[in-house]
Amino acid sequence: MTATATTPRVPVSRDPRVSRLTRVTGSPVLRLIVKRLLMAVPIMLGVTILTFWVLSLIPGNAAEQLLGAEATPEDVALLERQLGLDQPGVVRYLEWLQGAVTGDLGNSIVSRQPVSDVLADRLPVTGELVLLAFLISLVLAIPVALLAAHKPGGIMDRISMVVSTLGLSVANYVLALILVLVFAVTLGWLPAIGYVPLEDGLWANLEAMILPSAAIGFPLFCFYTRFLRGDLVDQMQQEEYVTTARAKGVGSWSVLIKHAFRNSSFGLITVVGLNLGALIGGTVIIEQIFALPGIGQMLLQAINTRDFVVVQAAVVIFALVAVVANLVVDLLYAVLDPRIRYGSR
Amino acid sequence: MAVVEPAPSFAIGPEIDEAEAKAGIRGRRRGGNLGTWIPAGLIAFVVIACFLGPTLLSLPSPVGGNILESNQPAFSPGHFLGTDPNGNDILSRLLNGGQSSLWIALAVNILGLVIGGTLGALSGYVGGVADTLIMRVLDVLIAFPSLVLTLAVAQALGPSMTNTIFALAFFSIPAFARVARSAVLRLREMPFMAAAKLAGTPAWRMLFKHLAPNIAPQLITFGMLGMGIVIIIEGALSFLGLGIPDPAPSWGNMVATGQLSLSATPMLVVWPSVALLVTVLAFNLLGENLRARWSGR
Amino acid sequence: MKQRTILSLLTAAALTLSACGGGDGGASASGTTGPVGEPQSGGELTVLEDAAFAGSWPAGLDPATNTTGGSNIAMQQAIYGGLFLLKADDDGSNARVEGNQAESYELSEDGTTFTVTLREGIQFSDGTPLDAEAVKFNWDRALANPCTCKPNWPLAPNGIQVVDPLTISLTFTQPYPAILASFPVSNVNWIASPTALQEMGEDAFKITPVGAGPFTVVENQLSSVLKLERNESYFKEGLPYLDKLTFQSIGGDQPAYQALQAGQAQAYEGMNTTPLVEQAQNNSQLQVTIQPATSPYVVQLNTKIAPFDDPRAREAIYRATDFDAINEGIFGGNYEVADSFVAPGGKFYALEVGGYPEYDVDRAKELVQELGGLTVRLGTISNYVATQINTALQTQWQEAGIDVEIFDAQLSGVIQEFTGGQWQAMLQTAGAWDPAAGVGVGFRFNSTARYSGVVDTELDKLLADAAATVDEDERAGLYSQAAERIAENFYAPFGLAFAPANVAVEGVHGPGLTTKIPPLLVNSGVIWDEVWREQ
Repeated sequence: MTATATTPRVPVSRDPRVSRLTRVTGSPVLRLIVKRLLMAVPIMLGVTILTFWVLSLIPGNAAEQLLGAEATPEDVALLERQLGLDQPGVVRYLEWLQGAVTGDLGNSIVSRQPVSDVLADRLPVTGELVLLAFLISLVLAIPVALLAAHKPGGIMDRISMVVSTLGLSVANYVLALILVLVFAVTLGWLPAIGYVPLEDGLWANLEAMILPSAAIGFPLFCFYTRFLRGDLVDQMQQEEYVTTARAKGVGSWSVLIKHAFRNSSFGLITVVGLNLGALIGGTVIIEQIFALPGIGQMLLQAINTRDFVVVQAAVVIFALVAVVANLVVDLLYAVLDPRIRYGSR
Repeated sequence: MAVVEPAPSFAIGPEIDEAEAKAGIRGRRRGGNLGTWIPAGLIAFVVIACFLGPTLLSLPSPVGGNILESNQPAFSPGHFLGTDPNGNDILSRLLNGGQSSLWIALAVNILGLVIGGTLGALSGYVGGVADTLIMRVLDVLIAFPSLVLTLAVAQALGPSMTNTIFALAFFSIPAFARVARSAVLRLREMPFMAAAKLAGTPAWRMLFKHLAPNIAPQLITFGMLGMGIVIIIEGALSFLGLGIPDPAPSWGNMVATGQLSLSATPMLVVWPSVALLVTVLAFNLLGENLRARWSGR
Repeated sequence: MKQRTILSLLTAAALTLSACGGGDGGASASGTTGPVGEPQSGGELTVLEDAAFAGSWPAGLDPATNTTGGSNIAMQQAIYGGLFLLKADDDGSNARVEGNQAESYELSEDGTTFTVTLREGIQFSDGTPLDAEAVKFNWDRALANPCTCKPNWPLAPNGIQVVDPLTISLTFTQPYPAILASFPVSNVNWIASPTALQEMGEDAFKITPVGAGPFTVVENQLSSVLKLERNESYFKEGLPYLDKLTFQSIGGDQPAYQALQAGQAQAYEGMNTTPLVEQAQNNSQLQVTIQPATSPYVVQLNTKIAPFDDPRAREAIYRATDFDAINEGIFGGNYEVADSFVAPGGKFYALEVGGYPEYDVDRAKELVQELGGLTVRLGTISNYVATQINTALQTQWQEAGIDVEIFDAQLSGVIQEFTGGQWQAMLQTAGAWDPAAGVGVGFRFNSTARYSGVVDTELDKLLADAAATVDEDERAGLYSQAAERIAENFYAPFGLAFAPANVAVEGVHGPGLTTKIPPLLVNSGVIWDEVWREQ
């Protein structure tokens, strides 16, 4: 069913330099957006079905989970009725789907709060966390990778290698605790826990978010640095245009930034796009450590209480973010290089 | 846990043979044999230490220690790195745990490489509907929160090395597939591929004879960069009820348990992190050198 | 974060750290042992609660619909106050249930009628009266909650009667002397405003409930943060001391410890990671109060199937188990080792149980040989202390020649093991402050209980009689007979008596927080009205 919603594809050109731009009519950017958004429908359907199926594999339902080990079977049955769990799962999924299609994500099974309200509370927290983490990681990774790639094997390259290896070998939850120990406990510069809404002041908000986003951002920075540096070095060594540019006497920094980096940025953007989707659900541990009321915390709790309505809502959000991130990535390709084919990613 | 999914490097236009050749020479000159052998030797050392060390050093068992000897500091008699809160020898746990961690990293990468690599290569080579179908299914996997699946596997099947490997492989497959697909997309435009195709080589032969050997280096390099990530995530899984079940050690679960009381027992986290650091560093150095050599084929 | 659910710790974390049987466990080595000054009014307090237990209130805070009420006693006390409260002397001794919103109570001589008289003039924070009608309204709703936090009253038909505007009576089908003890642990203790409930509707009320307690709800983000402020119309003159009280959910002991050090919070309930508790005790800025345990560990043996249908196999486990060594080795000898289901903080505590099979590894070896070997699968719930004890037990049992496989599971896994009936040995906690109230001793030992490995009608009768006996001495006698019977038949070896520690920064004082009160279920019932901060 995944294929049905995709628009018919023009066979991939034998010559990648021939852009689909020349072959499609109408605005290609618009076409791309429409096509991708249409694709999002089967993806989302697939994700929610998969989620529903996987959740059904987990033993225990909301009633059993909420009441705990001491509950009597009669009490569990009573709560199952109260929560509407006595209906077959498929029926509950279809009911949920019916609502979801019309934009109603339903009410939490456990708290009966509208899921949209819960999301409205929690999405900004996680959104800010993830965006700041990306900002921190990219702002640092690009210059460091450029410095490292400028002289492969040089001192900057070696230092960045050691630092980024460190970042890739230390678990982010350990890093989080160390950051708190240094910057909150010892130095007292930043708060150890808690979330301050943006309304309460930009600085207060940022202050609370610096450590958690650094804990997520540092390993990302390390990964991006390694990734970008590798790609840059490849570009500098392999590509014809680099040789040509060098032959023309263009300075090495200029080649690196104007040519190699421009090309390497495609790869970087792809990784960032992929990460964005994965990360928004991967913030659970960090949210727990910093007591941030985010969506990861909500998802974990919803899984624990088998609150499938909330889980599905979270899953839909993650899928949307993943789809939109990929779409933005592809649009960025087009911005960076108009010759790029829309077909390949 | 941050699931880091690398994507292919994105090169534009067909590579020119001459440039490749030059780059190859440069790569070799730069990397040299030392650049490959030092990390390879380091990896060999880690592997030997983990798999033979416990016997060679006649270390105590990593589990079932004497609780009366718990929390001993490093360099205590009989316990070079001290003991953990259960009285188990930390060095023994570190080396034995390394076995599990290395196995997991290897198995996850092989599964991801073989399954993801094949899917991605197929998708990229065949193109059309098959490509769309495979890539959209992988999109579903990427969009699917790993937490949900992990908890499901943990609670439905329980923690074990096999279940852990499968759960981790499940999420590494789309990443490998993307790397493979992009590599194939680039390769299929190369002259030798066109020549083979014109000569009427059947598709399966194209895939295995021409594509596989050419994309394998990139996939293997990618896998090596991901070794550390896999080992760390395995530890994080123990929080979710997956991972190597207690009391058996792995580097990941040693870190995960140790950080529960990090400020009181920092060394429980430091030792496995250092082991992981050395290993990841070695794999990254090796990966980088191999990449430099291969790209200059 | 370790995925644990709501009540997973109820079973497993009544296991946490416990009373150092007396001594100076109350105050840390930090000099708080000095005289505490006069309480001061004002100030704010942020209290951290473990996200895996008390920091989880997914179903809201209406006592009639909160299905995790047993874990949320702290918040409910702050919002509703409570009809009765468990109080104790500062060192945790002399624990007793006292009327709070209830002025007086009376249990009829035959133990079948319980009458509660309310204090006059108490108003909910919405201005409506807390009277007998309101109490009946709440009790009817509370008893319909499937939560394990509802009381197990043997209620007669129409057993709840309003006698007069301030008096309400309960009638039972059998004597129920544990009635008073049942209040502080169950949801009937928390009286919500019926008017507010009807005006708001259930779904809104569970988020911003209205009670007559010391604090009122300002903001409630489920399982994340609960912000409360002083109830200006509180019925106790001059109380509460604090202007604002915030409960904040946090992911574990280590982050909580750091948050206290960094000054973002002033108290943490229920710390159980041993090395951190020890470190906190040595931190001069923190006060650590280890509560007197009420529920000791027990190794449940499934006597219904092999190998523990054979008493020799069960005796081998008793003989191979040395909880004193575990106490010394892992916990610095800080805790009591119990011989029965009553721990030092509980009612009817007796240090020794006659005929308790003591540790004797040679005897254990003999028995194992006689049996031709013994293979055991020992499980517990995933929890720091429980898994550590299991690991130690594995070592000890292996010394006696027993083959041991250990595992730990999340709540649903543990339930599955029990309902599957194929479990062999489980490390659990047993008992309650009053063995007949709340999740009492019957839960682990009754023939008909879902989570019992014992089928013994004699024992059932002893426990039932004890629960229905009004005379306290007679009850104590019956409980010690029951304990002896368990020991004689090698049903289940008992172990360390744990209760978690409360940690507070210097300058914070309050009953149950910086003084000892036996834990009701897991955490002690802090009396938030009387918590204060040095200004």
